[in-house]
Amino acid sequence: MARILIVDDEKHIRLLYSEELKEEGYEVFVAADGNDILDRIEKDRPDVIILDIKMVSSNGLDVLQEVRNRYYNLPVILCSAYGSYKVDVKSIAADAYVVKSSDLTELKNKIAQVLEASVPGKE
Amino acid sequence: MKAFEENPADVKRADIVIGIPSYNEAQNIAFPTMQAALGLKEYFGHMDSVIIDCDNCSSDGTGNVFMNTDTKGIPKIYLSTPKGVRGKGNNIKNLFRKALELNARAVIMVDADLQSITPRWIKNLGEPLFNDFAFVAPLYVRHKYDGPVTYNIVYPLSRCLYGRRVRQPIGGDFGFTGTMAGVFLKNELWDEDVSQFGIDAWMTTIAMNEGVPICQAFMGKAKFNEARDPAVDPGPAFRQVIGTVFRLMEAYRNKWKAVKWSKPTAIFGFGFGEVEGPPLVTVNREKLYHRFREGFSSNWETYRSILSFENHQKVREVASLDMDHFEMPVSVWARTLFDFAVCYHNRAMDRTRLIEMLIPLYYGMTLSFVNKTEGMSILQAEEFLEDMCLTFEQTKPYIVDRWDREKGVA
Repeated sequence: MARILIVDDEKHIRLLYSEELKEEGYEVFVAADGNDILDRIEKDRPDVIILDIKMVSSNGLDVLQEVRNRYYNLPVILCSAYGSYKVDVKSIAADAYVVKSSDLTELKNKIAQVLEASVPGKE
Repeated sequence: MKAFEENPADVKRADIVIGIPSYNEAQNIAFPTMQAALGLKEYFGHMDSVIIDCDNCSSDGTGNVFMNTDTKGIPKIYLSTPKGVRGKGNNIKNLFRKALELNARAVIMVDADLQSITPRWIKNLGEPLFNDFAFVAPLYVRHKYDGPVTYNIVYPLSRCLYGRRVRQPIGGDFGFTGTMAGVFLKNELWDEDVSQFGIDAWMTTIAMNEGVPICQAFMGKAKFNEARDPAVDPGPAFRQVIGTVFRLMEAYRNKWKAVKWSKPTAIFGFGFGEVEGPPLVTVNREKLYHRFREGFSSNWETYRSILSFENHQKVREVASLDMDHFEMPVSVWARTLFDFAVCYHNRAMDRTRLIEMLIPLYYGMTLSFVNKTEGMSILQAEEFLEDMCLTFEQTKPYIVDRWDREKGVA
């Protein structure tokens, strides 16, 4: 089953998402901020990252650029309480954008979609 | 193809090359040339560089203006196709050859009529090429109605087909590595449309299908050249661009059939602060409506042979709407483009005529886009376009099915 790394500074969000996504059968890892994200990716080897934007000690949009520059095809879903960052040019580097909600249906659908996305590389 | 070269500094190698394709741009070429030179000095001063005017033997003195422009010591080369040989693509092909000859590591191309280029454009198109990216496409702030061929056709189509989200696939200003220049030069999918204005779609599509890392460079300032009313006749460039897109669909059919949904690219170039807004594009909605209605009613029978039965019925329904309520559902538009691509592939009718047949429907889609986004800001219109693209991606199984079925593939 796919491995998901949740990066969010709110403990209850990490807990809620972990529980729900584990129930869906995913293997879940959590991080409280985006510092050292590249090391976390090396260690946890996620198939998808769920990334908060407004975090106390890091900015998710900057973390996203760091991830994208190193891991070109690693799916990242921005998950924020604010819809306004969707139009920030930096968010274009994300695979999907989800506004936080207690109903995780949209997030789960996006996870399934980004895992299903297939873009062949060089033959 | 190269007929003439003027290389007064006898440049034999360069790390970075800037190419400016031109034809009769004597009035405009000095400005992008100066900005290119400033960008090279400021951001790539430690590298050997050269600026090349890739011209179509202009009769208005473009070459003289270019060679007399002060480039602060950056050498210049003037290249031209033989007299009478036109086309942006032919100019770019000369650029590929010269870049390889100079052993360039990075190549940047910018349009000769740009009025909004700054030295930062050179940095943003060039720097990713030294950081593992092979192709850099521009990301401009454009007015929501500027570039209807891009937002109605080429962007959603290339994104859903090849799975990579490149917002300005025919933006005109690109960066690519010297290695990619070699890939482009060797590619055999070159034809007359590519040698003209099909070149931008061709380069972006090949880069996507080569599977190389693509970056989109945020240019900050909007692209100011000639923004036009979308109701104006799109001219031969429309046929060349769409012909290129359809023909590449044939060549890369095995690739796009394997693509599901789409993926982003990396983004480069932030920190511009407040970005200057683009110039207003006014739209003549009456003209768009009239051209759609007139084209649809006079070619009704032909459309019946191009579109699937269900889709033809839907477009007929759309044609009955009045101007203020006019709306082309995105799924209908996606299927329409897919039907045209299948018809092009099957050579069911003359290909030039087929693409001309698409123009009235394209006016209809443009009117629909304008009606839907009328009260929206540029950013809101971008979100609307994002939803349009998702609909294209959801509709994609339609063309996968039709493409095979029409050819009788089991």
